[in-house]
Amino acid sequence: MSEAMFCDDLLTAAFPGILKHDPICAKSSHFTVPKDRLPAISHYIHTQPSLRGRLTLLWACDDRPVRDSYGLYYLFTLEASHHWVVLSTELAGHDRLFPSITPHIHAAQWYEREIRDMFGLIPQGHPDLRRLVRHEHWPKGTHPLQKDFSWNHVLERQQGEYRFHHIDGEGVFEVPVGPIHAGIIEAGHFRFSVAGEPIMQLELRHFWKHRGVEKLFEQLTLTDAVLLAERVSGDTTVGHSLAYCHAVETLLDLQVPRRAQYLRSLFLELERLANHLGDIGAMCNDTAYALAHAHCSRMKERIMQLNDRLVGSRFLRGAMQVGGVSWDIDRSQLKLLVEELDGIQRDFSEVGAIIFANASLTDRLESTGVLTERIAWDHAVTGVVGRASGMDQDVRRDRPFAAYDELPVNVALYRYGDVRARLRVRNDEIHEAIRLIREIHARIPDGPIASEPHSLPKPGAWTLAAVEGWRGEIVYMVMAGKDGRIHRCKVRDPSFVNWPAIQWAVLGNIIPDFPLINKSFNLSYAGNDL
Amino acid sequence: MFRIIKKSLRIGVVTGRYQKAEQPELPVTPEAQDKARPFKRSLAIREVDTGSCNACEMEMSALLNPVYDADRFGIHIAASPRHADALVVTGPVTVNLERALKDVHKQTPDPKIVIALGDCAINCGIFKGSYAVTGPVERHIPVDVRIPGCPPRPAEILAVLSELQGKNKTA
Ligand code: SF4
Repeated sequence: MSEAMFCDDLLTAAFPGILKHDPICAKSSHFTVPKDRLPAISHYIHTQPSLRGRLTLLWACDDRPVRDSYGLYYLFTLEASHHWVVLSTELAGHDRLFPSITPHIHAAQWYEREIRDMFGLIPQGHPDLRRLVRHEHWPKGTHPLQKDFSWNHVLERQQGEYRFHHIDGEGVFEVPVGPIHAGIIEAGHFRFSVAGEPIMQLELRHFWKHRGVEKLFEQLTLTDAVLLAERVSGDTTVGHSLAYCHAVETLLDLQVPRRAQYLRSLFLELERLANHLGDIGAMCNDTAYALAHAHCSRMKERIMQLNDRLVGSRFLRGAMQVGGVSWDIDRSQLKLLVEELDGIQRDFSEVGAIIFANASLTDRLESTGVLTERIAWDHAVTGVVGRASGMDQDVRRDRPFAAYDELPVNVALYRYGDVRARLRVRNDEIHEAIRLIREIHARIPDGPIASEPHSLPKPGAWTLAAVEGWRGEIVYMVMAGKDGRIHRCKVRDPSFVNWPAIQWAVLGNIIPDFPLINKSFNLSYAGNDL
Repeated sequence: MFRIIKKSLRIGVVTGRYQKAEQPELPVTPEAQDKARPFKRSLAIREVDTGSCNACEMEMSALLNPVYDADRFGIHIAASPRHADALVVTGPVTVNLERALKDVHKQTPDPKIVIALGDCAINCGIFKGSYAVTGPVERHIPVDVRIPGCPPRPAEILAVLSELQGKNKTA
């Protein structure tokens, strides 16, 4: 509590005009600020040495049928205390302009462009106002998240062209890649400017896979939407559904049974395990080290089959529900699971020894695709990528959810920020995940696995939840609507903040190393494009 | 070196260590089998993502791991549509990718087979009706084979592909 007081006092002392509200969830403060003071206040939170707020989420909300206004919300996570500070402001009447904070806080750049596309609100002073989500063939004036835009609207097509940033000069040429790639990869476009071999500039053009997820949420009830959350990014089924469930449970004021909390942690760690194993293999594969790839994908397959045996889905789909989990894992199953994981750990340690003893592999990985701590901080990078660049953050430890309050996590941290560091983080987290599952086996209490929702939230009530998925911090904002429906749901996959950082990590590297660097980030296109 | 060999010997052969799929829900039609005949026992596949949640993709790549090892059935992934015999399409076809899908289809030489993988590709699944989705796949290009599931298991995909190649007749 003292942390909260400290930060609140600091803010109210520095900016007397701001209005304090009741906190929206545990360990958070919420202030309403006048729109024109936003840049100053956010800059203060971001740079003040005792606060150092990292921009975690920025979202807008159309309140119009009820109130004639749009709401804008800024979420900062303070570095030392991991306390959340939410700033909100209102654009009343026909006001469609808000001051951009991008000139001070780089991490806001995509969020503000997204808000412009989805709501038609204009961030004044933003250095780059090209379209982000809406590709050029979308007709002018379509802003899908406005309340008067119907969810099943049929879009027309218009002509238009995206303007890439060009570098002019002798010997500079551009290499376009995508949106359809060679190999089994999702859709996205990369535009390289190179002179000779080294990359001078990389520009991303994403959002090909935009499916209108946030609008679809608004058509669903709070309990049904878990299905959609599972399908935001398929490889993070548990992470997304868990973050969503946490948010809804806070809204419904629902106590989740302890056993369910432990099972949730178990599922989350299984997902982490499978994906990290696959990633290590894929990174080795991109250096043409097929042997390690074969071993890792073999082990990943073992976990996927294990998942299938446990809950009947290789991606643990259908395991999560609002109020708890829908599958119980009994004692004998848990014991078998732990034995199997012991085997996998031994297996993986041997493979790890082979991988790390390989000098030519090390040579490819070291000092490739360096993301410095400074750039990571400026982009508010999270998760594996952040921890490989010295950003010491892990929601499991910093803001414990599920059963992590009783399961202390050792956070892997490296400082070099190269591909090898990202491989190392994953390697450590695999061992840590297996250790955590052993702990879960030892400590899990008996009891019910779900509690029934008993009330409906007040329309307009909203809350936030964050979960450390295998990629990084997943954040959900859920605002309740009438009759247990969703008024607005903002989804933020870690990919959304990590993608822009890759543009910096590749500079000076050669194009043949790009697949390797990209794999070491391994970001989701689906989770980014929504 | 010895460590690597020892490891490989200890692990042995893992190929085929999976639960075989049951009878596919939607059998492969005789027309599709006829279309696949010219390719005999080899099938070069181009995977096209048109807005999937990426789980379908992951199951496609799982086909190539040592456990399923689709290569042993002559199934491999082509890097370009121009080298492909079959397109495997996943996802509900978003407005942004509609053009790309049509282009890829045009670039694939005839004869070709189009396989819709996953519920999204077959009927848009949970994304049906959204403003950003124009699918399903068959609205834009003719589909020959459908593999339902969300996502279908690799064993199921493999079973359908084998049936397409006419290999299940003896079984
Ligand atoms: S069918 Fe299911 S698994 Fe496949 S892309 Fe659609 S939602 Fe994802």
